[in-house]
Amino acid sequence: MAEYVGIDLGTTLSGLAYLKPDGNPEIVPNSDGERLTPSVVFFEAHEDVKLVGSAARDGGEPDRTVFQIKRYMDDPEHLVEIDGKKWTPAEISALILSKLKRDCSKIIGEIKEVVITVPANFNELARKSTIAAAEMADLKVKRLVNEPTAAAVYYAHSQGVQGRILVYDLGGGTLDVTILNVEGDNIRILTSEGARHLGGSNFDEMLLEAYAEQYRKQTGAKLFTDERHRRRVLQTTEDAKKMLSKLQRVNDTVANDKNDGIARIDLTRESFEKLIRQMLTRTVMLVEQALDSAKLKTSEIDHVVLVGGSTRIPKVKTVLEKLFGKTPKSCGNVDECVALGAAIFAKRSARIQEVCNASYGTLAMVYNARTGDEKLMNSIVIPKNTPIPCSRTQIYQTSEDNERVIEVDITQGEDEDAKFVDVIGRITLEVPPNRPKGCEIAVTFSYDENQRVRALVVDKLSGRSREVAVSYKGAGVLSEEDLKRKSAHLRTMRIE
Amino acid sequence: MFKKILQSLSRSQTAKTETAKQVPAKNPAPAAHQARGVLNQIAQPAATPSKSQTPEELCQITPKMSKDQIKAQLKLLYRRYNRSASSLDSKIRSEADQMLTAIVTVREKNFGEI
Ligand SMILES: Nc1ncnc2c1ncn2[C@@H]1O[C@H](COP(=O)(O)OP(=O)(O)OP(=O)(O)O)[C@@H](O)[C@H]1O
Ligand SMILES: [Mg+2]
Repeated sequence: MAEYVGIDLGTTLSGLAYLKPDGNPEIVPNSDGERLTPSVVFFEAHEDVKLVGSAARDGGEPDRTVFQIKRYMDDPEHLVEIDGKKWTPAEISALILSKLKRDCSKIIGEIKEVVITVPANFNELARKSTIAAAEMADLKVKRLVNEPTAAAVYYAHSQGVQGRILVYDLGGGTLDVTILNVEGDNIRILTSEGARHLGGSNFDEMLLEAYAEQYRKQTGAKLFTDERHRRRVLQTTEDAKKMLSKLQRVNDTVANDKNDGIARIDLTRESFEKLIRQMLTRTVMLVEQALDSAKLKTSEIDHVVLVGGSTRIPKVKTVLEKLFGKTPKSCGNVDECVALGAAIFAKRSARIQEVCNASYGTLAMVYNARTGDEKLMNSIVIPKNTPIPCSRTQIYQTSEDNERVIEVDITQGEDEDAKFVDVIGRITLEVPPNRPKGCEIAVTFSYDENQRVRALVVDKLSGRSREVAVSYKGAGVLSEEDLKRKSAHLRTMRIE
Repeated sequence: MFKKILQSLSRSQTAKTETAKQVPAKNPAPAAHQARGVLNQIAQPAATPSKSQTPEELCQITPKMSKDQIKAQLKLLYRRYNRSASSLDSKIRSEADQMLTAIVTVREKNFGEI
């Protein structure tokens, strides 16, 4: 049996690693002989089989193929309909995890418990869906760990470095920036910032537009009119993008599927860099945000570590080099280090101190006694970056005489302007009648190591209290029973 | 020094609509995020960045502002709109995307390209 196993469930690629008896992690290949499995599922029409991986990606039936499901893990309304059956993102992810589990256990023995990685800015629902996906695939989740944390754990382990590390993880679908401190065997996360919908796929789409434009110019026709052909061209643009990480110039030809002729595409690295420059500026702004959030200057970062397939783009390195005045280091195999780090994490989680990924608080009218100002604000109880597990309390006052029901809105977000935060829940507490306004109410938030939050409201006068798990209920979250049923069903499926 | 009075969304909603009237229509505030999966949103004027506005107008940058003020404003806006860029609501997402483009354009004009 493999005791310490880590899985990187990526937007475009997934991988599984285990910790060898000598304490070093290793990637376990799938049954197709690949170290990483494309996160793509194909629902075969004739045989009752679900293909996962390269076969699915290259199959070419877009109506029956699911790409990038990870982007929808927090969308309770995103359902994929195939042959009249609706699949949730968690169920699709479960198929990918099943493939990894089945294939890899042939090599390393039974896999029961795993650490799964998620983007640092994955919200509660996305985390829950990930855990549900694992359970359906008959895997017990020991811990979820943030992807950049896992990558940094691997980097620190393999390079034996100490000090402050900034991890820049630009993958297929997301950018994660994490700053952490390594001291001996102990790792302390200082902050994590993320951007969803910013990654290699965006660059592919931009190139696709450029291809379509060129095609229109040269032939007067449309490059694609259906999803199938668009996918095919998208694959071509991704290949060209990768070539441009090695070469200065790529010559390509494209055609549509309507015999409108062939167009020549001449791409230079320079023109590609120009195309993605603004996107890269956004990534720099996220790095700056992370530095601000940790109250650090660029000069206070000892190592800049590159993670994620998109950091192979040379411009990414030069931009970061300019910003930090030092050469960023690649953590070896940029698309494997998250899984490798997760396997190490499975054994060493106790030595890794993580922080709250977001601020939690409530809405309050805040009076400043000195200036006389009053403002409706997002009043933060637990600030982002507080080491977890943790618990914090703030005292508030009631606003009206004879208030019978106290309502506490739970906010998530850093902005003090209430317009720019999410209200993710509400606690109501009934209190005794005939009390003047100004009674004290204590609001406590606590945060566990899986980034799950609880809120407690206590009416000080009566001692009445109410505690809730801050979570997304209802749509998108499965009941225990549903999970068991789906898990049993999945075990009977042919997944290859 | 500070007195904090609990205020819930349902109660502040009425007050909000009042203040909303005073907000100039051009205020480029984004809608709050995560349309679904979130209990409720704070009412606010819908703010679609309009095509006719320059990046500076969208970012509320005035000629009088110092470099430091511009930098601070861009940071604030980047944080806000990067957050809305992961909204589940595609309209909010595309508005956030337009704002991020404006933010980057203003940054490039004032502080050079990366
Ligand atoms: N040589 C290369 N040059 C440019 N881009 C590359 C290269 N190799 C891989 N990529 C890109 O890297 C991305 C995949 O990276 P990675 O495997 O780290 O992402 P992921 O883990 O699936 O996604 P995420 O971390 O966003 O969930 C793809 O967009 C791919 O096109
Ligand atoms: Mg990744």
